[in-house]
Amino acid sequence: MIAAIGLLLLCQLAGEIIHRLSGAPLPGSVIGMVLLVGWLALVRRPRPMLDALTSWLTAHLSIMFVPAAVGLIEQGPALSRYGVGLAVAAAVSTLLTMAVTAVVFAWAVKRSPRHPEVEA
Amino acid sequence: MSELLTTPIFWLSITVAVFAVADMISRRSRRHPLCHPVLLSTPVLIGCLLVTHTSYPHYARATEMLGFLLGPAVVGLAVPIWAQRGVIRRLGYPIALALGCGAVTAIVSAVGILWLFGAPSAMLASMAPRATTTPVAMAMATQLGGVPALAAVIVLFAGVVGAMTATPLFNAMGIRDYRARGFAIGVSAHGFGAARAFQVDGTAGAFAGLGMALNAVTTATLLSAVALLL
Repeated sequence: MIAAIGLLLLCQLAGEIIHRLSGAPLPGSVIGMVLLVGWLALVRRPRPMLDALTSWLTAHLSIMFVPAAVGLIEQGPALSRYGVGLAVAAAVSTLLTMAVTAVVFAWAVKRSPRHPEVEA
Repeated sequence: MSELLTTPIFWLSITVAVFAVADMISRRSRRHPLCHPVLLSTPVLIGCLLVTHTSYPHYARATEMLGFLLGPAVVGLAVPIWAQRGVIRRLGYPIALALGCGAVTAIVSAVGILWLFGAPSAMLASMAPRATTTPVAMAMATQLGGVPALAAVIVLFAGVVGAMTATPLFNAMGIRDYRARGFAIGVSAHGFGAARAFQVDGTAGAFAGLGMALNAVTTATLLSAVALLL
């Protein structure tokens, strides 16, 4: 378990270092995610502890951003002024994105040369 | 006694306790999107801060360790991506094309509509990563000069909308392929969408999880590129 925690933390640390050195706006944790995919591809072996740890983290993601959501307390004026715009933009964009992504995916599957119609 | 209010253990335990009750209500509602524990617990906690005259920066410092876990959680999204590498290889073309179109649609439509409402740039920056999972949206909003709290709430709201409308939308559009349906809801409505997709169909759920993880990287990369160009 400690090794799995260490792997996640080290990937994030490396991501933060790259983020700072390169000055790229990509968050360190996202760079860390890409690095971890690379590490899993490089050193191939079963990792039950890492699987369990990341499943646990993903399952409890919600409580981790509660403190940030409480930050809305400071956004009163912004929300009362642009609340409608925020809601309309988020809702329309969500529906539109779902429709576009599903249509493109279904279209590309049919056109795909390898006939992956049969789900393996 | 009143100095207890200034220790991390006080606000940490209040937050966890309020969330535990909210989570119980959410389970009772069979995880209805409108009963999401964050939606239920946030107003209660804001009420607690107001009643005790606690400033938000103070609360944020006390509960810092919860937010710290978001970083490792984002790094951990690598695991489902790696586990699904067979699917990614087999359906590489549809996945890449749908992901690219979806990510661009999400950013352009969300920012464009909000811009029409005359919103300032900090708000547009908080809106831009709205299709990514919450921790990535918060980190990305910060990088773009937005407000993490606003990004978190926008993402939650988009997730609720996506989870509640996906099934009727796809049925009306005549899209029956559960891979396309799952992937689309994951790209557009992240974790909420994935949770909903898993309730509907196992294949849809797996593709939703993949769509969420891949879009976190794609949208963050796209927005970083735009930020560097501007």
